[in-house]
Amino acid sequence: MKNVLRRVLLLWVGLLWAVIGFSQTKPITGRVTDDKGNPVQNASILVKGTTQGTSTDENGNFKLEVPATATTLTVSSLNFTEQDVTISGSVLSITLQSASGQMDEVVVVGYGTQKVTKISGAIATVKEKEIEKLRPVRAEDAIQGRASGVTVVSPGSPGAKPTVLIRGIPSYTGTDPVVIVDGSIQTLDDLNSIPAADIESINILKDAATTSIYGVKGGNGVILVTTKSGRRNQKTEFSYGGNYGVQEVFSKIGVLNATEYGAMVNEGSVASGGDLIFPDLSILGKGTDWQDQIFKNAPIQSHALTARGGSEKMTYFLSGSFLNQDGIVGGGDKSFFRRMNATSNITYNLSSKLKFTANTSFVNIRGSGIAENSINGVISNALNFDPTTPIYNTNPNVYGKYATSPNILSEIFNPLTQLADTYNKSNTNKLYGKLELTYTPIKNLNLTSRYGYTYTNVVGKSFNPLSYYGAGHINSTLNADGTPRTGAHNSVSEYKNTYYNYTWENFASYAFNLNDVHSFDAVVGMSVAKVTGNGLDASRQDVPFNSWEFADISSATGLATNNGLGAGSFQYERRNLSYFGRINYDYDNKYLASFTARRDGSYAFGPANKFANFYAGSLGWIVSNEDFFNSNLINHLKIRGSYGATGNENVSPQFQRISNVVYAYNLGQNAGYTFGENATSIGSTISSFRNDALGWEKQVQQNYGFDIAILNNKLSLTADYYQKNISGLLFTPTLSLYLGTAALPTANIGTTRTSGVDLNLNYTETFGKNFKLNTYLNFTTAKNEVTETNNGLIAGGNYGIPGQQVTRFEKGYTPGYFFGYKTNGLFQNQAEIAASSAQPGAQPGDIRFMDMNKDGTINADDRTQIGDPFPEFTMGWGLNLEYKGFDFTTFVYASVGNDIYRAYERNLAMTNKYRGVLGRWTGEGSTNDARYPRYSFVDGNNNIRASDRYVEDGSFVKIKDLQLGYTVNSEWMKRIKVSRIRIYAQVKNALTFTKYSGYDPEISGGIFDTGIDRGVYPQARTWSAGIDVKF
Amino acid sequence: MKNRIYIAVGMALLIASPSCTKFIDYSPREDYQITADDYFKTADDYQKMLIGVYSPLQWLWAVPVIGDVASDNSVSGGENATDVLGLQQIDDYTTISVNSYMTEVWKTCFEGINRANYLEENKDKLEFAGKDQVYAQAYFLRAYYYFELVRFFGDVPLFTERRLGVGDSKTLGRTPKAEVYAQIETDLRTAIASLPTTVNEPGRVTKYAAQALLGKVLLYQGNDANPGKFDEAATVLEEVVNGPFSLVANFGNIFLASGENGPESVFEIQYSNNNPFYDWSNPGRGQGNFAVQHNGIRNLTGGSPYAQGWSVNLPTQDLANAFDEEDTRKAITILDIEAYSAANPQYNITYLVAPYKNTGLYNQKYHPRKGETSGQIELNYMNNNRVIRFADVLLMAAEANNRKASPNTAKAQDYLNRVRQRAFGDQEHNITATGAALTQAIWDERRLELAMEGDRFFDLVRTGRAASEIQGFVTGKHELFPIPQEEIDVSELPQNPGY
Repeated sequence: MKNVLRRVLLLWVGLLWAVIGFSQTKPITGRVTDDKGNPVQNASILVKGTTQGTSTDENGNFKLEVPATATTLTVSSLNFTEQDVTISGSVLSITLQSASGQMDEVVVVGYGTQKVTKISGAIATVKEKEIEKLRPVRAEDAIQGRASGVTVVSPGSPGAKPTVLIRGIPSYTGTDPVVIVDGSIQTLDDLNSIPAADIESINILKDAATTSIYGVKGGNGVILVTTKSGRRNQKTEFSYGGNYGVQEVFSKIGVLNATEYGAMVNEGSVASGGDLIFPDLSILGKGTDWQDQIFKNAPIQSHALTARGGSEKMTYFLSGSFLNQDGIVGGGDKSFFRRMNATSNITYNLSSKLKFTANTSFVNIRGSGIAENSINGVISNALNFDPTTPIYNTNPNVYGKYATSPNILSEIFNPLTQLADTYNKSNTNKLYGKLELTYTPIKNLNLTSRYGYTYTNVVGKSFNPLSYYGAGHINSTLNADGTPRTGAHNSVSEYKNTYYNYTWENFASYAFNLNDVHSFDAVVGMSVAKVTGNGLDASRQDVPFNSWEFADISSATGLATNNGLGAGSFQYERRNLSYFGRINYDYDNKYLASFTARRDGSYAFGPANKFANFYAGSLGWIVSNEDFFNSNLINHLKIRGSYGATGNENVSPQFQRISNVVYAYNLGQNAGYTFGENATSIGSTISSFRNDALGWEKQVQQNYGFDIAILNNKLSLTADYYQKNISGLLFTPTLSLYLGTAALPTANIGTTRTSGVDLNLNYTETFGKNFKLNTYLNFTTAKNEVTETNNGLIAGGNYGIPGQQVTRFEKGYTPGYFFGYKTNGLFQNQAEIAASSAQPGAQPGDIRFMDMNKDGTINADDRTQIGDPFPEFTMGWGLNLEYKGFDFTTFVYASVGNDIYRAYERNLAMTNKYRGVLGRWTGEGSTNDARYPRYSFVDGNNNIRASDRYVEDGSFVKIKDLQLGYTVNSEWMKRIKVSRIRIYAQVKNALTFTKYSGYDPEISGGIFDTGIDRGVYPQARTWSAGIDVKF
Repeated sequence: MKNRIYIAVGMALLIASPSCTKFIDYSPREDYQITADDYFKTADDYQKMLIGVYSPLQWLWAVPVIGDVASDNSVSGGENATDVLGLQQIDDYTTISVNSYMTEVWKTCFEGINRANYLEENKDKLEFAGKDQVYAQAYFLRAYYYFELVRFFGDVPLFTERRLGVGDSKTLGRTPKAEVYAQIETDLRTAIASLPTTVNEPGRVTKYAAQALLGKVLLYQGNDANPGKFDEAATVLEEVVNGPFSLVANFGNIFLASGENGPESVFEIQYSNNNPFYDWSNPGRGQGNFAVQHNGIRNLTGGSPYAQGWSVNLPTQDLANAFDEEDTRKAITILDIEAYSAANPQYNITYLVAPYKNTGLYNQKYHPRKGETSGQIELNYMNNNRVIRFADVLLMAAEANNRKASPNTAKAQDYLNRVRQRAFGDQEHNITATGAALTQAIWDERRLELAMEGDRFFDLVRTGRAASEIQGFVTGKHELFPIPQEEIDVSELPQNPGY
């Protein structure tokens, strides 16, 4: 295998290899250890003043040919102080002194790198080691709880995008941070494409000092992903990581079994004046548990093979990986995420002053999904469907494998039929990477031209077969005998979408010292960015044999005249032109200052607002470097502060569009009319509003923080307080309905304020020679408030039938708060109804709603805040233990104060019910719990209106990761040239502690949909085992 | 040091390289989008915009359903108490301000008004032959939308000069009903002056349609204390009575597909299955009549011409009893499925008894029929909504003549009896009453003739009889429906009393 790879590599870059050669050399070998004698791997060994060198292997050993004239080696490694070593023989033993904790690390920032010690902004970092251990499907999983200041709400659906909030919700038009992969701009959606094995580090830029270099894109924070690269003069190191696991659902929702259901339905019917529907409850038994039917244990596996190394002139990192995750709802036939990656990151020194970098990654993603988180979703159907219905159809004269319910005749149907009739697939091919030239005319001056690109092609297909949900079911498109209902057709849809984004950046950076104490580090540059997308889609009715196998536009027979054949297309483009500059200064490693400026132009805004300027500055003071500072306890202390502006252009140009189609689907507007029996006349109308004044959303952020390390750098704490103020908020408000039905425009409306605290506490200790401990705690808070919405509010979070809206973005409240009625127990008797505010339709046993405005009547004006879906704080706690070859890792994530709105109940007379109904009011004094009013088919009091009855505390503590590993270290490995083998067992989402009654309190979505459980796809508990090998 | 200065200058120059700001200019044409800059260049553009003003008429499918469900003519029905919830509340007189049917009526009418106003706004951009008629139609339609608003909600925001823009949000208050009516009358009179008496395309507004609507609008404003509106109504309706219309001999034919836009049709909202549509998130916004699906019998099978539906808007026994046994309209208006099934065993009819509020009776005038829909079958029924029939005009004219300052009893009786003669096929059932008794007879006739066509509730309110005829009706509250809560929240309009 090793040879094959090497041969491929040779072919690939064959030309580049024939360059190395020295006239007179001498061999040197040696070993690098830390002050405790442990080997230091990947330490860089350079002949001083040259670029010749190598790096140490797993055991700290190195081997190097040096010019006969060389006298000194420079040895450096992450976390250690750089050291010059005199060549005093051919075998060297080098001991490196540990630098001040992790403080000498270098982190990647916008358009450059910076030493951690010299940073005066706010950055959180998650490193390779953590990511490698977790093996997340998506990189965001690795950030959750491990980076302070970031809130991640993960979805359960395989490969789906989570909610990622960096320091709260400042903006309405989107909360996604910008993602920069090796300097090229991507989006959060693209993080599904990067395999964990490729990632070197993830840095999160949080405050204005660090994000404002990205100007208008930086408003929601920046995630910098750095992928791995090779090292010069490093012999090829191969590694393989493989993992196989099984996923399962970790809880079920309590709904009624068949007998309980029968009893409740009888009660509801009788209470509303009807007859018993199930006269004999004794024959019902437990019935069918539909949740058991839809959830499956599903496998997940991943494999990654990488090779990295380098010669004198080039470095390379190559990787190939595969990941397959089947869904726990319906199993791998119906929902899965399958990814294959190939990456090649190569740098080559064209001359001593010119370096060329080409990072290239190819990804193929295949997937399939089911309907979820809606009242028509599979889970919603499982929760609401009739439990008295058997699983299978036993009547040979009736169509279909699964049984139908005679009781439920609309919207809700057998979830197994739905799963069986779900057919879709998508196939994404993506090529991304960068091409970069760096020219170094003089020392410390780098001129860089970088072209970063992402090309994505998505091809997908879905098929809606004719379905049978029961003879009387309004959604049935087949009759009981399997013949199509009159006018019913199946249909197939196909689409091909292409996206191409590029950023072309040219920048110069220069670092210099004056008088040894003034050090400067400056960068200036410009950037041109373009985001484009286009697609074609088509659909056609009448697929032969009502079969997925024949589902294709080419085989379907629907004709255009009947709308049996439809086609559509889209295209868009976004363009930006930007200039930026930054200067970092420090005086004698004690006083730090930085200033950043960016000028951004965006095509989205009107001529008057095309450009905007963003500035930021920061100051820092490394107190511990002062001469007067003399503490044995405190090893490092830095105080930081920053202030600056970033923006947001997450909006399309706003103009008044004239639409001339019969029907605009996304808008619900038609402009056609039929005069008599003529063919439909196509009219025209205005379909959108214009807003010439549209301008930039501006965010001003201040950040104050400190870093401290004590006890020989074993314990470190980073703490930040921040406040963000947004003005000119880009926002689509709910405007007066009398404006009509045209699409409302985005406008600069209102302001928001977000403030919070990020903390990161880290402790590392070694007990004796063999026992190592590392533990860390991250703490994140974000308090969001909408401080002004000049022209209205916006409501969202639609759920149920008929649709109700439960979330709002409104002045004086947190974004996306839950809005509805407050309850105050139940009316126990007629006298109580008479004594309270007028509530039309109320009967004893109904919910007493609170008269918030005290006007004596319960009406819509009494609705108020009933919850907040976003947590007050989140916490991540990690623990790593190592003893001899064994290692143990656990990671716990907690989210506190997030509410959940339970919205999966369909509330039809004959749909199944949440178990709480068993504790309903049955007579005076039976209960006063507003969650459990009397049960009747007729709900004259509208007990099901959006109210705090459905709001639950979604706080949770999850043991996200438990892992036990063993690293084999024995002689036989050397014989087969294997440097490292680690085997491990892992449980993800091992345990969840929560009061929430649903599957999973993590419910992702946008501002308006986070925390609303419409039957959400739960995260799986995953049991897995794997092996890591290096050779 | 000098070197560093050079470098700094060099870096600055690099940045100052010629900036191509054109790169970030935007024109909607890039996205193949049409804006007003490219429009109103030809007469066809105006004609197309006019069609767009007609479209929202089709979204008002629920108006006739509400007009009967809210009255003593029909009940909401549906699958259960939670199905078609908004209609259940209207039927049960528990309507609250969050009611999807009200929101749809409100939004639709204002969309129509804005579309008409957009033509008004661009009136001066081009002169072309037939321009007066384009604008006459637009004014009729604006009057129609305002009339719906006024009879549903009373005082409503009034604006006529231009399409509202973003800046107009929250700026309007409720204009008193009288002023809205005055504007409706102005628009209709302007329209009447230019509209033709005949049109090439069925469904286009004629002069008679405008006159009939004006007559109706006047009737809604008239009362015995101030009979001047009845005088005006009698005058304008007289022209329609003397127009080219006639009563269709066979009452039932009016409601068949073949009877659409027939000799009795004064104004019909056109629906079609020519352009099937599938949008369940906005049902009723397409070219089909969504009301028809509601009216159907559940799970109906067999060989009858009827198709199945959702058992909504079920006629009451009270309505059935109101018909004289000899009245041929009864069987046309009401489908007694049990009786029909028994009388037609050859059809092998099976069906599901209406699961909620069953009356055994169905709206035969607008019952779904096989072969009259397409696409998403529920959404695309072709049945036109017969908004104003000649029989309605006769009854309105009869009422106006009998209630005006100096009643013309003979005319009133004549017009009423022309309707009754068609219904009974003879003169035996002619009415000879006069005065208040004649007015009552005309009102009774309106119920029977126009049953299940959506006028009953509004007639009862207009004539002050709602409280005595409708259970649950509270005087001083239920004359009007509540303004949608969303509008109250956003625009801070005062709500109608009692809600």
